[in-house]
Amino acid sequence: MAKNRKNESVVLRLGPALKVFGLIAVIGGASVGYVWQKGQIEMLGRQIKEREIRSAELRDQNKKLRDNLAMIRTPAMLEQRMKGLNLGMAMPQAKDIWRVPEPLPRPVSVTGRPAIVQQVASR
Amino acid sequence: MGKRLQIKRLLWLVGGLCLAFIGLALRLADLQVRRHVELRALAEVNTVYKIRIQPRRGDILDVRGNLLASSTMVKTIGANPTLLTNRQAEVARAIAPILGMNEADLFRKLQPGTRVNIKGLTVPVVHVVLANKVSLESWTKVRQAMTTLKLSGAEDKKFTPPLRAKAIFADPVEDQVRKYHGNDLAAHVLGFVGRNSDTNSTEFGQIIGVDGIERTFDDKLSGTQGWRVTEIDKKGREVVPMRDQNVPARDGFNVVLTIDSVIQNTLENALASSMKNFSPQNITGIVLRPGTGEILAMASLPDFNPNKVPRDPELRKNRVITDFYEPGSTFKIVPVAGALDDGKVKLASEFNCENGLFRYAGVPLHDHHSYGTLTVEKIITFSSNIGAAKIGLELGENRLYEHISNFGFGMQTGIQLPSESPGLSHPVRKWSKVSIAQIPMGHGIAVTRLQMAMAMAAIANDGWLMRPMLVSRLQDGAGNVVAQYQPQRIRRVIGDAAAAEMVKALKTVVGPSGTAEKAAMTNYTVAGKTGTAQKPGKGGYQDGKFLSSFIGFFPADKPQICISIVLDEPSKGHFGGTVAAPAFHEVATAVASYLQIVPDKNVVEVTSGNIGASPVDVRSVRTVAARTSRTQ
Repeated sequence: MAKNRKNESVVLRLGPALKVFGLIAVIGGASVGYVWQKGQIEMLGRQIKEREIRSAELRDQNKKLRDNLAMIRTPAMLEQRMKGLNLGMAMPQAKDIWRVPEPLPRPVSVTGRPAIVQQVASR
Repeated sequence: MGKRLQIKRLLWLVGGLCLAFIGLALRLADLQVRRHVELRALAEVNTVYKIRIQPRRGDILDVRGNLLASSTMVKTIGANPTLLTNRQAEVARAIAPILGMNEADLFRKLQPGTRVNIKGLTVPVVHVVLANKVSLESWTKVRQAMTTLKLSGAEDKKFTPPLRAKAIFADPVEDQVRKYHGNDLAAHVLGFVGRNSDTNSTEFGQIIGVDGIERTFDDKLSGTQGWRVTEIDKKGREVVPMRDQNVPARDGFNVVLTIDSVIQNTLENALASSMKNFSPQNITGIVLRPGTGEILAMASLPDFNPNKVPRDPELRKNRVITDFYEPGSTFKIVPVAGALDDGKVKLASEFNCENGLFRYAGVPLHDHHSYGTLTVEKIITFSSNIGAAKIGLELGENRLYEHISNFGFGMQTGIQLPSESPGLSHPVRKWSKVSIAQIPMGHGIAVTRLQMAMAMAAIANDGWLMRPMLVSRLQDGAGNVVAQYQPQRIRRVIGDAAAAEMVKALKTVVGPSGTAEKAAMTNYTVAGKTGTAQKPGKGGYQDGKFLSSFIGFFPADKPQICISIVLDEPSKGHFGGTVAAPAFHEVATAVASYLQIVPDKNVVEVTSGNIGASPVDVRSVRTVAARTSRTQ
């Protein structure tokens, strides 16, 4: 004899409802997640673009500064500045330069000790 | 009855829905299947965006890393007048100052116009070029100005957004401008750039090297194009996540020269001074290291500014390598060195110089002064033509020609510059009877200024002929060395004993009895040779037209620097020792100080007695230290 549906317990009828709810939650969550992810990708894309533009601008600025520095450092510009500031700067001639020879290393005895130590010891 | 009506209505609804779905399905099939190819292409035109990414041309630097030439990326700014509606005046007022343009001119450019397209239809102009070579910084300002532009009256929601976003735009393909920071400094070495005019080339309109290092190293400097395939949205902004292909451009390599800009400037100043004093047609100079063949400076005056290339090809010519000339007495180093190396003569060997007149094969040969018997050393000291001719006769035609070839005459030196001439050195079978006597004097042969300098450098370098070196290395943008060029020995032209004897003889040239006393330096021993060659013309040699030169090196016994100075047709004086030697002295003195070359004569010994009375000008020492640090 078939069971009367009206006699089924509430717990048994809640099961399918939970399953449906769970399914809806999964599908809904996935949808929201998908949209959120798309939004994130879109936002990151915009950020990448902004940073690319900023990077290009900084490179351009850096280039401009390098070019300015190069121009300032040209010999003609340096000479002009030296004349303008009347610094009286000039290349030193050979006679103006003292060349001090490197001191020779202290003589070392056969024992490997500095000679001066040996002399003191022998007195 | 009611139920039947309900069923009937339900059936109608279901039927209607089915028809609607069938209609949609058919439309879908039409769009996605039947017209797929056509619509896909249309969609791609609207959204897919393909762009070429231009590489930045590499820089050219001197040996100390100072920038000589560099490129800056720039934009070409355009406008779509159809999007401006009636706002031309307001837009012109906002962006004209940024673009550095006259507001009225810009206003005229922004006016709508029409043109006839290839189908013969009259269509509105949608692309007008407003300005070329606009810096990225200025383009950013233009965009900001358009975004924040205050329009008079009520803003139209339909027309204002495209006006702000699309009416003024930059060409997606970037352009670049080349800047030579020293203006005319080393102009002939650097060369200049132009535009690729080959319409069939994929690089049409791109910058290419036309002359100098720019041309020789064009493939290294140019870099490689990149590309990007991406999508844009309705507002014309790139949708970065939809980037399909993104291959960045590889910027060109930086070329580091052996040229030192301070020495180059010193040389150019000295040449300019000689140009003023002696008014030659042109003047050239080379400073090189004999041991390696590295060229520290190379100049030819008159010169030009590569930032504004002149039309006159004569100004653009690098005469150091393109022109050849009869060298005159500087060439005597070749037969004399050859004869010493072959053991045919010694420095003390004597030759009768015929009191200034010697007839050979019916042709009279003259000396500037009448000399009797001279040793080989004195032949060099006094620059006797007859003595040199007799040494040539001693060598014989074939051996003389072999020595000439060994020294590199009649062939290119292999310098990394375009348009180098090999000079003119005829084979023995084409010589006349008198050639054997004339060529040792530096007549009947044509050489380039560089060949002559390299020959002298070979004597300074114990007889080793070096390949002239102009490029030290290639670097990437981060400074990593990509290629390092090494000094190259070409061949040994004479033995070291003969080279030493030649140096001994050449030292006497700058002595009190020599022809180039003005080349002598206070603290360095100089060895060198003067040359004063009459210029050939139609019907023989031209009166009063000379090519005067001095090529020398120092310190003579441990050569560090070799310098060549050549004046073409000086109008005030013509002897090499009078017009070229002073420029040598000026350059050599400055270079010796700058490179801090250890003096080899008149050296003050440092003792405890004189150290307190030091002649050192402290200010000068500080100066050179400061200047050196600034130029590094």
